[in-house]
Amino acid sequence: MALTETRPETERRDDTTPAPTPPSAVERLIGSGDHLTIGRLYIGFALFFLALGALGLGVHSLDRMTVDGVLGLTEVLRWTSLVAMVLMGVMPLLLGLAIFIVPRQVASPAIAFPRAAALSLWTWLIGGVLFITSAVLDGGIGGTDTEAVRLGSLSMGVMMAALSLGSVCVATTVLSHRPLGMGLARVPFFAWSMLVATPIWILTFGSTIAHVWLGRVADADAAGLTVGFVDGIAWFLRAPSVYLLAIPVLGIVADVIVLATGRRLSTYGVMQGLIAAYGVASFGVWTQSPGGTENIVWVAFVLAAAVPVLGLIGLAGENLRHGKVNASVALVGALLAPLLILGGVAAAAVQAVDQAGSGNLWSLDAQMLLWAQASFLLGAAAVGGVVGLAHWSPRLWNAAAPQGAGIGAAVLLFIGSGTLATIHLVQSIAAREGEAGLVRGALFGVTIAAVLLIALGALSALAMVLGAASAGNDTPAPDDDTAMTLEWWPVGPVIAGDVDVEVPPVTSPYPLADLREGPEEDDA
Amino acid sequence: MANTTIPLDVALPEAPPAHLPRRRELLFGTGFVTAAVTMGLVTLIGAYISARDAAGVAWLEGNEIPLTQPNMQLVTLGMSLVTMHWAVYAITRDDRYHAYMALGITALLGIAFVNQTTFLYRMAEVELTQPEGPLFYAVTVGHLLMMIAALLFLVLMAFRALGGQFSSRQPDGISAAAIFWYVTCGLYAIIWFAVYVQK
Repeated sequence: MALTETRPETERRDDTTPAPTPPSAVERLIGSGDHLTIGRLYIGFALFFLALGALGLGVHSLDRMTVDGVLGLTEVLRWTSLVAMVLMGVMPLLLGLAIFIVPRQVASPAIAFPRAAALSLWTWLIGGVLFITSAVLDGGIGGTDTEAVRLGSLSMGVMMAALSLGSVCVATTVLSHRPLGMGLARVPFFAWSMLVATPIWILTFGSTIAHVWLGRVADADAAGLTVGFVDGIAWFLRAPSVYLLAIPVLGIVADVIVLATGRRLSTYGVMQGLIAAYGVASFGVWTQSPGGTENIVWVAFVLAAAVPVLGLIGLAGENLRHGKVNASVALVGALLAPLLILGGVAAAAVQAVDQAGSGNLWSLDAQMLLWAQASFLLGAAAVGGVVGLAHWSPRLWNAAAPQGAGIGAAVLLFIGSGTLATIHLVQSIAAREGEAGLVRGALFGVTIAAVLLIALGALSALAMVLGAASAGNDTPAPDDDTAMTLEWWPVGPVIAGDVDVEVPPVTSPYPLADLREGPEEDDA
Repeated sequence: MANTTIPLDVALPEAPPAHLPRRRELLFGTGFVTAAVTMGLVTLIGAYISARDAAGVAWLEGNEIPLTQPNMQLVTLGMSLVTMHWAVYAITRDDRYHAYMALGITALLGIAFVNQTTFLYRMAEVELTQPEGPLFYAVTVGHLLMMIAALLFLVLMAFRALGGQFSSRQPDGISAAAIFWYVTCGLYAIIWFAVYVQK
């Protein structure tokens, strides 16, 4: 059998026509749908913005040291800085880490909807820049310039939508990109925690964006938008919603503990259940209505979150007690982060007790308690993010994270956020903002010190990341004889596209350990 | 002009296996996006009901909102539920002709709904400056935008179906458009009751 084909006449190519120029590095970067690039960019910008947000809060606190204001600023930097640290700092930090690591944990060559992931990154970045611009123009949240506040509100909504889009990509990756044999019960802890976190993030932001939309339709002025934020959006920064910041932290901590001890967690399902239970306790959309915190269900929710965190600490302690511990930056941070989550739960418990009975046992300032809860959880998420960066640094940048910068970042963030939260607890109990004199100066002085520590911690984390990135190269690393989950497969450098390798069979949550040691009896 | 004779076994090597997108990826993605949009609209409806309860009988006192028009819209969307499901049913059985017809009718019903909504706005004469205005329009325009998004999604998936991308082996695109469509219709039923019937 043969095929007869006649070549069609074609126009003769002019040899002088220049060949199309390949895209430049910047064009490749902007047009990239590679989850490794997108994740790295998210992480880098998030750490920078986290430091910037903390400095903004520092400037606000400096201004508030006297009743009339040292610098004569408006209230613009108060809420704006907190929202910036959450939406531009810790959430994108964890999301970027997930965009990078989660596909690898489920042995997928790419993230689901890669173009949507890229759209999420650039939309978030543009939203963030607009948010900062609006704050500079006395807008943001709480500013006095109506047009600038409208820009601030819109850009906040844009960032929420962008983070939701990135969350959709991550969750879909976990659900539909898993290899054969990896049921949901065998998904690595971080991927599992992101599967729990992302729907809650998506639903919460769906609700907050509705309030942004309402403000837009109502054509509200600066004061109206600020009231709209406090009444309709700020609830996501208090318990139980604010717990959602730390859901991925539980997964990171669990993965770090397992690798640090080299010991399989015998109660894998229990750990997954604890993370899921914590996620359920962090769903707080229903508390946004007036009086949403003044009922027994709210009290049950905010206190229930402590149970899974304590359970996780117990399981981690059990593994550490029996395993051979390899001390590392990640392990130090992994031990600190849950304490901050418990601090947040404790702050919520104080509010619950205060509101018990007739409704105002100690007459505490609810907004200061919100700040205390948000500061604790913000710190937990930031420390957890640093832990993740240090832990997966060999995968992220082909080099181990510098120990000094890593430990410095984790400790500074821990102390800074813990102090910031504590000072707000004190303010809610003892000294109100309106109080003048030495007490006021001291309170805001401590606040400045705390936010400077957070800023320094974020910058240390950035230094750690840049140090690892500059040390990284394409030389294959030696085989890691402790790796357990698939993000460490194939052992060696991370090279974009170099993932077309056969995935080891998945018959347990620890496929690489199975490959090395054989399956455990229960798994066989 | 030269003729070339090529043995077929050399010219046409073994074709690589057909690449199909991962099953259910689009369904999961659409599910998450739909959940987010639903949460947004439910939040707005909740705010609307809360404000209406606080206002009492004064709510929309000066406006005449007929129920006939919203009822017709509900019936229109009810019919579209049937045709949308017809499209899913047809594509999963490789009945392309009926799938195209069902998608076309669904789109037509969706466009009719959009037209009816704008007509209702003209009849209701609710001003943005009156106290009820922002919430009324935030809810109903929000849903209208959701319907337009559902229509765009439907048309896009219909074009991809025309291009042969969906079949009984890979019906996800049509199913995903259907999920978004069903929820859009369901949310209208809530709005119909909360905003138009309970006005």
